[in-house]
Amino acid sequence: MTIERLKKKYDGKSVVKDISFEIPKGKIISLIGPNGAGKSTVMGMISRLIAKDGGNIKFEDKDLAKWKSKELAKRLAILTQHNNVQMKLTVRELVAFGRFPYSGSHLTAEDLEMIDKAIEYMELKEYENRFIDELSGGQRQRAYIAMVIAQDTEYVLLDEPTNNLDIYHSTNMMKMVRRLCDELGKTVVLVLHELNYAAFHSDYICAFKDGKIAKFGTVEEVITKEVLSEIYNVEFEIMKIAGKPLTIYY
Amino acid sequence: MEINAAALKEKRRMLWILGALVLLSIVFYMTIDVNLSNSKFLAFSMKLRTPKMVAMVVAAFAIGAASIVFQSVINNTIVTPCLLGMNSLYTLIHTVIYFFFGAASIFVVNAKASFLLDLVMMVVTATIIYGVLFKKTNYNILYILLIGTVLSSLFGSMQEAMIRVMDPNDYDNLLLTLVAGFDNINGEIIVLCIVLLLLVAFFLRKDIALLDVITLGKHQAINLGVDYDKCIRRMLIGVTIYIAIATAMVGPVSFLGLILSNLSRQLLKSYRHTYLILGASMIGMLSLVAGQILVEHVFTYAIPVSIFITLGGGIYFLFLLLSAKKG
Repeated sequence: MTIERLKKKYDGKSVVKDISFEIPKGKIISLIGPNGAGKSTVMGMISRLIAKDGGNIKFEDKDLAKWKSKELAKRLAILTQHNNVQMKLTVRELVAFGRFPYSGSHLTAEDLEMIDKAIEYMELKEYENRFIDELSGGQRQRAYIAMVIAQDTEYVLLDEPTNNLDIYHSTNMMKMVRRLCDELGKTVVLVLHELNYAAFHSDYICAFKDGKIAKFGTVEEVITKEVLSEIYNVEFEIMKIAGKPLTIYY
Repeated sequence: MEINAAALKEKRRMLWILGALVLLSIVFYMTIDVNLSNSKFLAFSMKLRTPKMVAMVVAAFAIGAASIVFQSVINNTIVTPCLLGMNSLYTLIHTVIYFFFGAASIFVVNAKASFLLDLVMMVVTATIIYGVLFKKTNYNILYILLIGTVLSSLFGSMQEAMIRVMDPNDYDNLLLTLVAGFDNINGEIIVLCIVLLLLVAFFLRKDIALLDVITLGKHQAINLGVDYDKCIRRMLIGVTIYIAIATAMVGPVSFLGLILSNLSRQLLKSYRHTYLILGASMIGMLSLVAGQILVEHVFTYAIPVSIFITLGGGIYFLFLLLSAKKG
């Protein structure tokens, strides 16, 4: 996926200014940056949830806007932060919606197999007949990820997947993301606030500041004292743990 | 294939039971106190009761379906088209037509022409007003509810203002058509209404399946490949037509949609809109026909059925609001 000179304005105020970068296939890319830097807006535009005001997004050599929504749904999945369902829906029924782009509401035997796999993958077997609104935040988040897995797309975009999760669940979530990439060969793009999760689990990091890309590169290139202090205006210390640069700030 | 065959079977069974109950109540309504031995009496009672019965069935279906669809479109279960002023808009449009064309015009004299003109104007204005309202507020339910309530009284006062300066003869005519109720059914348009209802249902049959996905929220729906804005627009047009039909035939029944949709959701606990719509319509038919039997044979027309509905619906609405707070 290639992004060229992407722009977005809200009420005349530029929030995304001329952003260009490329998303490498089969890797985990984390978007980081302070609040209001434009990372979630960029995520929204590359997933067609938000209309862009300028620039090009090419997905598989074709303009994103020219893709049929249904075809795109088989290639690219997005999970945003706020998901509340008013319906009485069980985990299994929710996960089954992941097959909607393929079979509509008439599921095939293959769909059922994918649904079962996704539920097992997210270790949700024991909850599969529970209603979504009766689950804890962590379980619900996992159910949504299972739906995305059932959707079986090459690209998975997650907007702050660790938001509102405790340390245990967010760590598991990040490990899960790593497995999605390593075992299932998916390209995962994340918006993250926790720098250490980004540093430890991703391959590339794209750091935003004021609607522009401050730095895009491998984890080692971006997670440095100089780059981070510049972006966040806070003093940083970098430590190496398990071969990965981790940040300390206070 | 189905993901949860057992639960689905149970829901289907519930719908069948409901259907049987509806049939029973209709048969009961048609035959109670009828002198079967005399064919003239029989024909007379059928002539009196058939239009009423058909109107109740049609209204229940229109209101039940419209409410379920509308709630799913804005993702909230305590809002109905009625609450946001769709009925008052219809009344207003109807009045405007009388006001400008006068009682002698074809759009007043001919019930069908009058209804069709109402319908066209209703669809145009309602899709614009509610489409813009939803988009501008970004489906924020608090704003929608607030603006909707304001709109409702705004339409009401506009209509009242018009009535005050109207020609008394026009007014007399208008009032006759405005006070439609289950005891005073606009019989001339029944066939037209049924045809329209079926046509709309046929054209929107695919969107109903999309509605299951739309209740997951806008972002999820787009993620799963639904052309969101287009689908919402089509649904809104459908809802408007259904509400217009129901209001034209039996007049405004404020809380009926709310009761039907929520009872159906509570009973079926399903996300499938075909089931929810069927459930809501059949609960509607059952309660309307049963209510009418009570009105005609127990209260001997002393209390119209709409009073029961408004009373019960008001209490039920309060109950829903208060119990939603806890959850």
